[in-house]
Amino acid sequence: MEGKGLTLWFTGLSGAGKTTLARLVETELRRRGHKVEVLDGDVVRTNLSKGLGFSKEDRDTNIRRIGFVCNLLARNEVIAIAAAISPYREIRDEVRRDIGNFVEVFVKCPIDVLAERDVKGLYKKAIAGEIKHFTGIDDPYEEPLAPELVVETDKETPEQSAARIIARLAELQYTAASASAAADAYSDEEEAEVRRRLEALGYV
Amino acid sequence: MGLFDRFKAKEKSRRVVLIGLDGTPCTLVERFIKDGTMPNMAKLCAGGSLLQMDTSIPDISSVAWTSFMTGANPGRHGIYGFLDVQPNSYKIYFPSSRHIKSETLWAVANRAGKRAVVINVPSTYPAQPLDGILVAGFVAVDINKATYPATLVPRLQAMDYRIDVDARKVQQSHDALMDDVLVTLDRRVKLLLELYDKEPWDLFVGVVTETDRLQHFFMDAIADESHKYHSAFRDFYRRIDAFLGQVAERLKDETMLIMSDHGFTPIKQQVYLNRWLVDHGYLRLKENARSIEEIGDGSRAFAMDPGRIYINVKGKYPNGTVEPGDVARVVAEIKEGLAEISDNGARVVKRIYERDELFSGPVVNLAPELCVQSHYGYDLKGAVNKAQLMDREIFTGMHTQDDSTLYINSPASALRSEKPHITDVAPTLLAGLGLGVPETMDGRSMFR
Repeated sequence: MEGKGLTLWFTGLSGAGKTTLARLVETELRRRGHKVEVLDGDVVRTNLSKGLGFSKEDRDTNIRRIGFVCNLLARNEVIAIAAAISPYREIRDEVRRDIGNFVEVFVKCPIDVLAERDVKGLYKKAIAGEIKHFTGIDDPYEEPLAPELVVETDKETPEQSAARIIARLAELQYTAASASAAADAYSDEEEAEVRRRLEALGYV
Repeated sequence: MGLFDRFKAKEKSRRVVLIGLDGTPCTLVERFIKDGTMPNMAKLCAGGSLLQMDTSIPDISSVAWTSFMTGANPGRHGIYGFLDVQPNSYKIYFPSSRHIKSETLWAVANRAGKRAVVINVPSTYPAQPLDGILVAGFVAVDINKATYPATLVPRLQAMDYRIDVDARKVQQSHDALMDDVLVTLDRRVKLLLELYDKEPWDLFVGVVTETDRLQHFFMDAIADESHKYHSAFRDFYRRIDAFLGQVAERLKDETMLIMSDHGFTPIKQQVYLNRWLVDHGYLRLKENARSIEEIGDGSRAFAMDPGRIYINVKGKYPNGTVEPGDVARVVAEIKEGLAEISDNGARVVKRIYERDELFSGPVVNLAPELCVQSHYGYDLKGAVNKAQLMDREIFTGMHTQDDSTLYINSPASALRSEKPHITDVAPTLLAGLGLGVPETMDGRSMFR
């Protein structure tokens, strides 16, 4: 089971929690001994897709590029986690078709909750028209019709959502069913060193 | 969120800085301000407030720093010591960052889009991913697992960064240990200032551990002016003060806090609670036992460092003997007995807390039934292989619970008047960032 690559694709509106969940799931999967890479849509836009804008065409190109890299990683036994708004259904389904071993997670949160939360004040700016092409305001978001999992971030904590994602991956046999399969924080060698250091300070 | 970073940069928000000095007693800072050893600290205090703070019980770094970083009590965060026992086997394990059950201060800040630089906070190993940088502190072993993101590791190596003082140097000589303390401090300060200057951050948390290490082995030197290391101890704090001055001169409009996770006082005696439990018929150990893992049949209780006492409950532990209905009686008996311990007529035990007096939350079931707090000078220990109840070892300093340091660069009029508790620090930092206190935290902001 360990070493089976896949693409774990988070889609959802800005601020819904894709990056947060990607990082939580990444941590847990690493703990379980998997090789993991996260492709964060916003980070990708500063390198792999630098220069691309937010027209439909540019957005599609961005998603194809992320999908291409995920595929390279997944076939080398890496769990590639993509966290990108990826608003268009058609292009997500194209990526799914092309690369196989694809698990789509819809990170769902109602737009009024996001606009209300609006941690960075961006929804306010988008509503005021100061930011153009903002998904959910003046650009469309097409919900997935048959994602492997929907997490509702206005109703569950990030930890609960992450746990559900791990459970779904276990169901799909991409990771072990129980965390006890996961490696301990300290290797035996490290544990001996920790013990020596604690002894030196009188704690053991 | 790259698209948004462009806008974020334009937003004006106050940054917050926390400098941690592991184990620095508030009374020592006050003394060093008065006698001129810490002029920068004196200047800071002229424009802010120096407060004596209570820390967690147990008052050791793993529990205290975790209480700091989560703003929560151990019943919520799950860290009760440097060592813990697995109930199904008595097997000792060393809790790590993965055992922390509640959300950290920096995770809360990250959620609000605030970037964090977190350097050398104990109990953060292995480093967990965050928006920012984290280099784990004690007990970190492998620099690769201690550092997030991994791309920072070559930079740390190029700076000859050291995770910790090698306390085993004291076996060679006190001079060797003192040298190691000074070199490690020097490297630490370099890294802290470099990241302070060159990294973007909203929340900066940097901890110095060398203060604690010095005091474990040289605490006797500060009281005694004729002591060989008296001036070395003072010079060490001059360096700490110089570092605080370097941070102070960088401040623009940041909220700045300085804290310690516990205080320190000279040791009179080390007190081995497992010896007491054996002598009073509560604990039986296998021959030549070196740890609680070798607990014998018929044991009713055992102790873990520093003053944690666990009842060997039937059904909870494989070799449990105390019926759940009898726990309260055994607890009462042990409390009564421990209260009697004396050293040439002086009382050793100051107060014994029952579980419910200290802990509440989802992992309260992991808590010891009792936490013993001693009078200053009597260092409670969990060792099992001791032939007598009290003894002296190489250590000259022990932790204190009621003399931690908290400095805030705000006048007293802006602060609550109650004595601060270590769980109040995270809410105070979040308030500095303009954020509220999450429900997972027990503490309250010190700002009025």
